[in-house]
Amino acid sequence: MKLVRPVLLNLITWSLVLLISFPLLWMIVTSLKPQTELFRIPPTWVPETVTFEHYWRLLSETPFLRYFRNSVVLASTTTVFVVGLGTLGAYSLVRFRYRGRETLAMLVLFTYLLPSVVLIIPLYLMMVSLGLSNTLFSLILAHTTFALPYALWLLRSFMEGIPVDLENAALVDGASRMGAFRDVIFPQLLPGIISTALFTFILSWNEYLYALVLVNSDAVSPLTTGVMSMLISAFNIEWSLLMAASVMMSLPLIVVFAFLQSYLTSGFGAGGVKG
Amino acid sequence: MANVIFKDVHKRFGSFVALEKLDLDIHDGEFVALLGPSGCGKSTTLRMLAGLEFPTSGEIRIGDRVINDLAPGKRDIAMVFQSYALYPHMTVGENIAYPLKKRGIKGKARAEAVQKAAELLQLEALLDRKPKQLSGGQQQRVALGRALVRDPQVFLLDEPLSNLDAKLRSYMRAELIELHARLGKTMVYVTHDQLEAMTMANRIAVMHGGRVQQFDTPDAIYNRPANRFVAGFIGTPPMNQIDGTAEGDHIVISGHRIPFNRADFVDSLADGPVVLGVRPEFVAIGSGDGLPATVRLAENTGHETIVTLELPDQTRISARVEAARKLDVGQKVALRFDPAAIHLFEASENGTRLNLDETPAAVIPMRAK
Repeated sequence: MKLVRPVLLNLITWSLVLLISFPLLWMIVTSLKPQTELFRIPPTWVPETVTFEHYWRLLSETPFLRYFRNSVVLASTTTVFVVGLGTLGAYSLVRFRYRGRETLAMLVLFTYLLPSVVLIIPLYLMMVSLGLSNTLFSLILAHTTFALPYALWLLRSFMEGIPVDLENAALVDGASRMGAFRDVIFPQLLPGIISTALFTFILSWNEYLYALVLVNSDAVSPLTTGVMSMLISAFNIEWSLLMAASVMMSLPLIVVFAFLQSYLTSGFGAGGVKG
Repeated sequence: MANVIFKDVHKRFGSFVALEKLDLDIHDGEFVALLGPSGCGKSTTLRMLAGLEFPTSGEIRIGDRVINDLAPGKRDIAMVFQSYALYPHMTVGENIAYPLKKRGIKGKARAEAVQKAAELLQLEALLDRKPKQLSGGQQQRVALGRALVRDPQVFLLDEPLSNLDAKLRSYMRAELIELHARLGKTMVYVTHDQLEAMTMANRIAVMHGGRVQQFDTPDAIYNRPANRFVAGFIGTPPMNQIDGTAEGDHIVISGHRIPFNRADFVDSLADGPVVLGVRPEFVAIGSGDGLPATVRLAENTGHETIVTLELPDQTRISARVEAARKLDVGQKVALRFDPAAIHLFEASENGTRLNLDETPAAVIPMRAK
């Protein structure tokens, strides 16, 4: 009787894990199969012959690396922008008292609630009038606009968990406001900053819609739209290349996740329990 | 010279008046306690001295420098916070060294100063620990260490003992008194605990409603309270305050006439309503002639008994008697007050004391230092 509960729990857990990880596993398996094995019925669960041919083709014959570089630049710069602005904004919202502070915070959140489809046309027109259309920078700005509100709220709740006395102590001990921020607030805020950075990076890395609308030149396309237009046409999908590309697109995220997942979960919990 | 002067200082937060006409002159090397209930303005006073708040008007000086607009770090003060505010990511040693680091003191000089402070507070063995690994008392000592490492002119302490348990609190109280004697520095100490203020301070500023009610020695605060608030705030239990009427040489309470010596009081004391104040230790419980009362409660603390008595008009007062004294609840008794220990106050809500202080009230040995 005592065994039923753990067995049942394990069963449910593992079937969930399998369900979630199956597409990932299938992606990896498919990317390693030779063309001849791809559409065989019944499918082979483990490739009979393992080949890295698709990866080689992807890297040598397609502009994949260029897209990859664009995505890295896009996601990293967006992250730097969002974390920088978000930290300063959250500091202001938590530490200073001024008229309309709460309204401002609510308005910021309100922009986050709007569906991006609503914002995309005005944003596009703005980019055109700024002469930024079809540049990577326009995407960086666009991603910043939709990642910043959430980042601000996330960092705000982290910031609220840092006792104001810590900063006061640093001020009395002879630090300037910037010095107190650097020496005392920043180290305390680091988990919040890391999880915000992760969140932003992932959002920007996976973003598709803005990239599709704001950028149409192959030279500045990020991975999402680049790979899509390169491998998927109306008549044909290059499955093997697509799977290889997908694996390589996921790799940075998986690596980052593996190292920093504890920060990420603490970030998602920060709104509920201040710590 | 590190005397601290508040001159006509006002502080408002929006429409809320936190401090009104604050005048304090704290001498060099003095230990002053700011004492009062929460919301009385004592912490605001300290924070203005620290530079964490700025006065709405008035002048604050340390020595001969006006420090109104000076940044906290430039005031040559050190502060111990109620929460200790130790930097969690730094070791004890780094915490203590931080104020020196911020003042550009490097290398050997810094290490020596940290070592000296650590020795003074017996923290040598803990220098490599993080604050989280320390007990409350140890954290408290680290906070003190961080304050005294750079030899500031004035120490500010914001309820530093309130997070400690009772035993550790009385130990740290003694430590702080010794530390003050050894350093000889000006210390301003905020507390809501009258025992801390009475035992540690050279002078106490009793605050209430954003105003200093009395600024004097613990002895004077206890024996010659300036007004009804101070009388009712200091002492455990505090001074009894009984509504009465002055009639010639007597105070009439519930029809009972209590004699008093009119020469001991100000000339303006007229016949009419007054408040009679008497400390519980000067309420004698007997039988026969006296103010009639009923025993409502007797609390034996071991070395004394605090008796709660009800007067005919339902007023409750307390008396302090020896522990062996046997009193039953409901027992009818007669009270007599030591005439030399009688205080009279104006009958208004926070009435001023009307005694002439050339003839101090009976001085009793209440402070055992």
